[in-house]
Amino acid sequence: MTVLEDLAPPPKVEIQPREISRRELWQRRLPLLPALVYTVVVTQIPFLVTLWYSFQSYFWNTPAPAHFTGLSNYKTVFTSPAFRGALVRSVVMTVTAVIVAMILGVCFAVLLDRKFLGRSIVRTLMITPFLVMPAAAALIWAGPMLDPNFGLINWLLQPFGVHHVAWLSTHALGSVILVMIWQWTPFMMLIVLAGLQSQPPETLEAAKVDGAGAFATFRELTFPHLRPYIELGVLLGSIYLVNVFDAVRLMTNGGPGTSTTNLPFYLYQEVNNAFDIGGAAATGVVTVILTIIVATFALRMFARVFQFEEA
Amino acid sequence: MTAVSVRPDAVRAREPRPQKIREMSGNVGWAVLAWVVGIAFFLPVLWMVLTAFKPESAAQTWPPKFIFSPTLAQFRLVFSGWGPYVTHSLIATTVSTLLVLVLGVPAAYALSVHPVPRWRDGLFFFISTKMLPIVAAIGPLYVLALHVHLLDSIWLLIILYTAMNLPLAIWLIRSFMLEVPKEMLEAADLDGASRVREMTEVILPVISPGLVSTALICVIFAWNELFLALNLTVTNAATMPMFLISSVPQEGLYLAHLSAAATVASVPVIIVGWIAQRSLVRGLSMGAIK
Amino acid sequence: MAQVKYVSASRVYAKDAPPAVDTLDLDIKDGEFMVLVGPSGSGKTTALRMLAGLEPLDGGRVEIGEKDVTFVPPKDRDIAMVFQNYALYPQKTVAENMAFALKMQHVPKDERSRRVREAAKLLDLDEKLLDRKPKALSGGQRQRVAMGRAIVREPKVFLMDEPLSNLDAKLRVQTRSQIAELQRRLGITTVYVTHDQVEAMTMGHRVAVLAGGHLQQCDTPRQLYDNPVNQFVAGFIGSPAMNLLKVPLAEGGARLAGTTFPLPPHVRAAAGQADLREIVIGIRPEHLHLPDGGPAGPGPRAGAGDPAGSGAVSGEVTLIEELGADALLHVRLAETGDLIVARTEGRRTLPPGQQVTFRVSRDDVFAFHPETGARLAG
Repeated sequence: MTVLEDLAPPPKVEIQPREISRRELWQRRLPLLPALVYTVVVTQIPFLVTLWYSFQSYFWNTPAPAHFTGLSNYKTVFTSPAFRGALVRSVVMTVTAVIVAMILGVCFAVLLDRKFLGRSIVRTLMITPFLVMPAAAALIWAGPMLDPNFGLINWLLQPFGVHHVAWLSTHALGSVILVMIWQWTPFMMLIVLAGLQSQPPETLEAAKVDGAGAFATFRELTFPHLRPYIELGVLLGSIYLVNVFDAVRLMTNGGPGTSTTNLPFYLYQEVNNAFDIGGAAATGVVTVILTIIVATFALRMFARVFQFEEA
Repeated sequence: MTAVSVRPDAVRAREPRPQKIREMSGNVGWAVLAWVVGIAFFLPVLWMVLTAFKPESAAQTWPPKFIFSPTLAQFRLVFSGWGPYVTHSLIATTVSTLLVLVLGVPAAYALSVHPVPRWRDGLFFFISTKMLPIVAAIGPLYVLALHVHLLDSIWLLIILYTAMNLPLAIWLIRSFMLEVPKEMLEAADLDGASRVREMTEVILPVISPGLVSTALICVIFAWNELFLALNLTVTNAATMPMFLISSVPQEGLYLAHLSAAATVASVPVIIVGWIAQRSLVRGLSMGAIK
Repeated sequence: MAQVKYVSASRVYAKDAPPAVDTLDLDIKDGEFMVLVGPSGSGKTTALRMLAGLEPLDGGRVEIGEKDVTFVPPKDRDIAMVFQNYALYPQKTVAENMAFALKMQHVPKDERSRRVREAAKLLDLDEKLLDRKPKALSGGQRQRVAMGRAIVREPKVFLMDEPLSNLDAKLRVQTRSQIAELQRRLGITTVYVTHDQVEAMTMGHRVAVLAGGHLQQCDTPRQLYDNPVNQFVAGFIGSPAMNLLKVPLAEGGARLAGTTFPLPPHVRAAAGQADLREIVIGIRPEHLHLPDGGPAGPGPRAGAGDPAGSGAVSGEVTLIEELGADALLHVRLAETGDLIVARTEGRRTLPPGQQVTFRVSRDDVFAFHPETGARLAG
């Protein structure tokens, strides 16, 4: 029997993981290239062109060609109260719609989490607003629903003392936000519902045995479990809602005045009414920069919420 | 010591206990509340479909009419006018969705099963294009399209819709590919399958339901898209959303006709959405939520 | 104080389905460690959940400490439960997990942390782990947190649903004795569910064997081993399992492996009374003795003049399993070809293919009714 005499640690050996071969590397890259190239070309070129035009003075309705004008377009954007108004309104509309839709979404998800007669039918009914073409939703709400003289809403609210309200004139912003909420609550509800249904039932049983009633269980266990789902819903919803265009254009056309004009509509107006390509480009660039700033925070949250799955 | 029990009579159901009655009435109340909410949310859609069957005279009345003699006149009007619009929508939707799948499946493959070294950056790049608003570039885009003679062309819409849906599709398809059991791929590798075979024989068959739901989600977004269609088309590529807008005349009664047009425009997507219901959450969250 | 009673308790899941638990009658004494054991589908987990209040009863009642708790919700039964998958609250720290029930009872904060720390010490849980979340813990640590959550409540009854099944073998053996020791120290009535008969035998004061929703036998481990009341209990308890063989009756005994094996008179009487042509014979592996001085030994004598009243069982060795101190011999019996298992001392093994004759004492043999499985006794 040998006795260990030398107890010094073995010498350090430098072992590194083997690198992927060049061939393998390109074999992996190749499938990605078509989509990558396509996306770069189709999305980045327009932005480069936009950037170029933002430094030009170019009006669509005059024969004069585009000529360099430095930062004057940007000056106009930053001093324009219309732009600032549109920005503020975008924020107000998005934040309001997202928050209300999420609160309603949580409530309805809790409602649909329990089994009851016809649950799948109710679920199907509830997701329909999300599936309706946004243009159709906007026009139907503007017409048969909210019309001051013939609309269904006015008729339904009559017992509550409401008389022929011209919603799109007196409560324009609220009406637009209402339609946004109507269309996006199902989205929030579905995401929260997925969260509710992913809770391990054993944990809820343990809470029952530990003496927690329905409210305590929701507050202590369910809500913390739902947090990543709620965050995801808020994040995705904000991305989609900040770009809402159809409802604004088709319900109020940005009005009365500019009371419902958000950023997408403002840009649309610059192009279509003012024919100001240069100004629209500069507005576009500023919008993009603002979006990048917000998106950087959002992307960080995205990675955390998505808990990046490795292959 | 306890003796073994001999087979007894069958267990009889007992009388409803007081607790159970309370449970049942609670359940009924819950169900009623849920149904009320469901119907309330569905009401505008119901109203839309109802109004579509009215003659214009019955559509703009006070109080609103629930009983009336239904007519298909509005639908006939819609179907006589929708020809080019629906054709353009169908072409733009199906071609762009096919293109998305053709580009997206290999890309998702390169970001999941045999990932490129910087796959995280790749994913982030794709999702960042979704976050940047296309609206910002609409002016220059218009000018650009004009210069390359793509303005008012169905191909422009196809190109843009593909770019619009590609990031979503890549994230979604990637999430499906990650679910293919690693052992299956290793077995195929041991059996001598090349990369291409691995894709066609193993991966695609396994994720085919996922591909279908991805395609359905892309169809929904492409069909409903208004902003690009509105700004970049006039007549040669006008899609269904544009058709809707055109059914709002400057003057005259139009609510019933509008409702019929809206119904016709929305119903295909609604049905697709009802079918793909289960995968809707997954699609909307880009595969984050199963 | 805290004795537990099942009185004709039943649970049925679907209208015409066989009951999951069929009129269970069980009396558990205060402070007793009662183990419910049985194969999967035996109803043991359902019975436990009925006691917890997580399953309603479709017949009979359940009592905790003389009180009928059949309609009392779980949180008012003063019980604590350890779940098979631990069911720890993932977003809460270990300390918060353990204190949760106390928080629900509005126990003040310092009292809560005191009791948590006491329980942690009792379970050998490092204080540093108290601020971690469950996902940062190992399986064994999580199991102890689940136990700690139950202990902290100082309930009337502990309920445990296969708490060791997710641990690796070595940890299981270690934790087994810790749980038994803990229960002795705390003296709280415990109902413990497992499918592992080794756990049942080593931990329980008494063990209730269930099969198909019916209670087969409830007794001390020793009694279950020595005096099984039917074939199921005999075959379930003991490892390796008892050898069970269906054999035809013959003059003076039963025909086994080519010879007539003697049976005690009361067994023969019971068989005669029931008009049986054949019975099921049960022999534990350790009761098959190798004769001294070699495999064949003194020739088999069919019980004639043998003072111990023993019989002979002959066959051919097919496989040897070395366990270290013991060895298990798999033997194919002569004439019938049935396979049996015998336990011998580690050093006295035989090579495969060897013919061997075992001595079995007449009184070590169990006999069961071939149809009902009931033990044939006087």
